[in-house]
Amino acid sequence: MTATCPECDAEIILTGKVLVGEIVTCPECGTELEVIDLNPPQLDLAPQEEEDWGE
Amino acid sequence: MAQSADSGNKDVTLLRQMLEIESLSGQEQELSAFLVGAMQARGFSRAYVDAAGNAIGEVGEGPRPVVLLGHIDTVPGRVPVRLENGQLYGRGAVDAKGPLAAFISATAQAGPLPGLRLVVVGAVEEEAATSKGTRAIARRFQEEGIPVACVIGEPSGWDRITVGYKGRLLADFMAEQSAGHTAGPRGGVCETAVLWWLAIQAYCNIYNVGKAALFDQLHPSLRRIHSFGDGLVERVEATAGFRVPPECDVADLRATVKEAAKAAGGRVRLYAEEMPYRAEKNTPLARAFLAAIRASGGTPAFKVKTGTSDMNVVGPAWGCPIVAYGAGDSSLDHTPDEHIVIEEYLRSIAVLAHALRGLADEKP
Repeated sequence: MTATCPECDAEIILTGKVLVGEIVTCPECGTELEVIDLNPPQLDLAPQEEEDWGE
Repeated sequence: MAQSADSGNKDVTLLRQMLEIESLSGQEQELSAFLVGAMQARGFSRAYVDAAGNAIGEVGEGPRPVVLLGHIDTVPGRVPVRLENGQLYGRGAVDAKGPLAAFISATAQAGPLPGLRLVVVGAVEEEAATSKGTRAIARRFQEEGIPVACVIGEPSGWDRITVGYKGRLLADFMAEQSAGHTAGPRGGVCETAVLWWLAIQAYCNIYNVGKAALFDQLHPSLRRIHSFGDGLVERVEATAGFRVPPECDVADLRATVKEAAKAAGGRVRLYAEEMPYRAEKNTPLARAFLAAIRASGGTPAFKVKTGTSDMNVVGPAWGCPIVAYGAGDSSLDHTPDEHIVIEEYLRSIAVLAHALRGLADEKP
């Protein structure tokens, strides 16, 4: 199964049992991506990571 | 929007009642007993206080335990409990009675789920460096079987999921010398503490070169300094704390703090060490939360935090999928203005219930 990186257009091979919501990393640009659809396979930028202080 | 933000809502009433019971670390018995009754009243199949004093409620008999681990103790400082403009004020409203009350309400709402045993824990002494309640829970599930997932009850915001906490190390410095005249050539004993602090600060500054993110930096803080004497001997004591990032060589940090103390002419005691922990994002638990936040109309994001939580204790002990989640703004933790926005609190309950159902749908 393959999908396209929305950041750099690289073709990404998705292996194993792929799930909606799965986070993958683009091997070309290193961006974290989220599988948002399987039919056809589609990737979007993964939820961003923020910093926060406290507990 | 989950439900209207009125004070007659039973989930709001639960939180308000929890806030009205003061529960400083080591003085949680009244709240533990109250929570057992509250969980029984909401149909939990078991509710009890364990040997450590934790209030625990269970729903479902499935073979896969999911632990929702909150804490019931608070730091000191009485914040009058009141509902104003859709905001509920009180000590612990965000840290962390709000998230724990949401665990209880969401678990009751989700009900027994196929294959799962939902275990809500209101742990004691999280705000103390002992983490007594959580360490007891960590040992229990290491013996009984590791949970399939764990949610820590700390404020992340209703549409955010916390996946990492820095570690912590505390250091008490002490030095003494015979008393001398300040006009003399020898420095005062206070200067030894200053030398120690400057040396460890310099070590941290070098470590932090090129690290832009706070989460990646080694952050020192001078928490206390005190000098005293009896006319014959003068002494100085100081306490420093370190917020430790995941990549830090803690053994090297410990050695540096000790060597700096010796070089300054004092000695040091290291304690309250918690290892940093960064959770895996690619888990059934994280996926369930992402889906649940979107289903409630939110745009989810992950968070990493510069403080510590019970994730630092059970994360390494269990190694299971783990996140921290809870309504509220953590910048209000420990402040006189501590409050939770009722609308956000109710949304977090809807998200939690949705996430628990989603987790049950994931096949093991």
